[in-house]
Amino acid sequence: VTEVIPILRIGDTLLVTLQGDLDDATVIAIEEQLTREVARTAAKGTLIDVSGLTVVDSFIARVIARVVAMIRLLGSEACVVGIQPAVAITLVELGVPMGHLDTALNAEQGMVLLRRLRRDSTRYHGAAGD
Amino acid sequence: MHIRELETALDAIGDYAIITLGADGTVTSWNRGSETMRGFTAADAIGQPVSLFYTPEDRESGLAERELQAARDTGRFATEGWRVRKDGSRFWASVVLASVRGDDGTVTGFVKATRDVTEQKRAESLFQGLLESAPDAMVITSGDGRIELVNRQAELLFGYSREELAGREVEMLVPERFRSRHPAYRAGYVAAPRTRPMGADLELWGLRRDGTEFPVEISLSPLETPDQGLLVAAAIRDVTERRETELRLQHQRDEILELSTPVIQVWDKVLALPIIGTLDSVRAARLTEGLLTQIGEHQAEVIILDISGVPAIDTQVAQHLLRTVQAATLMGATSILCGVRPETAQAMVHLGIDMGQLRSRTTLRDALQLAMRMLRERAGAADAAAEAAASGRGPA
Repeated sequence: VTEVIPILRIGDTLLVTLQGDLDDATVIAIEEQLTREVARTAAKGTLIDVSGLTVVDSFIARVIARVVAMIRLLGSEACVVGIQPAVAITLVELGVPMGHLDTALNAEQGMVLLRRLRRDSTRYHGAAGD
Repeated sequence: MHIRELETALDAIGDYAIITLGADGTVTSWNRGSETMRGFTAADAIGQPVSLFYTPEDRESGLAERELQAARDTGRFATEGWRVRKDGSRFWASVVLASVRGDDGTVTGFVKATRDVTEQKRAESLFQGLLESAPDAMVITSGDGRIELVNRQAELLFGYSREELAGREVEMLVPERFRSRHPAYRAGYVAAPRTRPMGADLELWGLRRDGTEFPVEISLSPLETPDQGLLVAAAIRDVTERRETELRLQHQRDEILELSTPVIQVWDKVLALPIIGTLDSVRAARLTEGLLTQIGEHQAEVIILDISGVPAIDTQVAQHLLRTVQAATLMGATSILCGVRPETAQAMVHLGIDMGQLRSRTTLRDALQLAMRMLRERAGAADAAAEAAASGRGPA
């Protein structure tokens, strides 16, 4: 499988950056590459940086939501960072359901958010185990 | 035709006063039309000098003699002027004076045909008076676009004298860039003439003599005339001032909008948004845009929406607020609502407005406290996670 995007590994967290034109083939490749990488590294969390996307249509919005769902199914947390103001307005105007996404302003705050998500899920599992 | 028949024919013409004069200007014949028009009978008039029918001023200045001389020189002379009836009243006369020559070429007399055109004169001066007293510049053109008449205001507005405009194409007052299209519009108007504004919804411009342009508003009316066919009257108003006022108003509206949606940084990573007044879609869009930009600039994590200044929350306003919150959430900022009044809370629940996970506090102070606690918790969580990571024993 070809590598379509660079995936950085920082400790137990992966960082992917989406940018440029995303067509169907690229999207499938990104999904394959990313899910494989999450499984291989057993990463606890993934940051998806979209600050390079200045225009987002409903297709790309759905792609992002899909990737996040896949990562969660793999037992990891995912967080979308760097949504641009214009993009945020477009997504709300389009009515794309993205309410369940965890978002942060930048990668740094995204890391903090991932840790909190992990802590919260730990607490939940702990409570369930008791 | 016999002379007698001719004389009878002349006599029968009631609308014209037709008289003959001797070479010296004394009346030699007087038709019935002359009698009705002037009140003098043939017996009164024959043998009298023609100057008898002139006003005292004209008599004094020798106008009658000058006119006779002109007819003598050129053979035919036409003029208009005031004439006097027997009772002293005046009428405006249109006069044609022709000289009669003998076989040897010397002038043996004159024929003078006079028409009473007082009514036309009155109508004309009434029209002129109306034209000149109109507050707008008036340009009257023929059906084929030649300028027939303009008023003083048109002279002032365009910088041409009426002599310079008369007979020229009206396109000379239209800026170059519209000139080629104008004749077609003109033809369209002549085909369906009615009183209407020119170029509805278009911005119209006039061209001055000095080449400068100015915004105008033009109203067109057809003028049906018996002798010149259809004329088109254009009333032209310079709207420079109004255009400027409109621009200034628009500018002020924008400024007020800007002022009415302030975003205040109340603390590190905390923005407050006091919303005052009615939230329409234009303002809401502006508000969302401004807020998101500020979130990016200040890297704000919490925003406080203070709606205590919003007079009424209806479904529309609530939708606007929700969208703002959703967009802020997508960027990674958490929203806190504050200043919800009891009646607002009732209205929102009755309207079935779902504000989702949005937290609410009564006052701005409480909202700020909550914001600080949220930030502290996040920082604490980050520190704890960092410590755990450093000790090599991450959360299980």
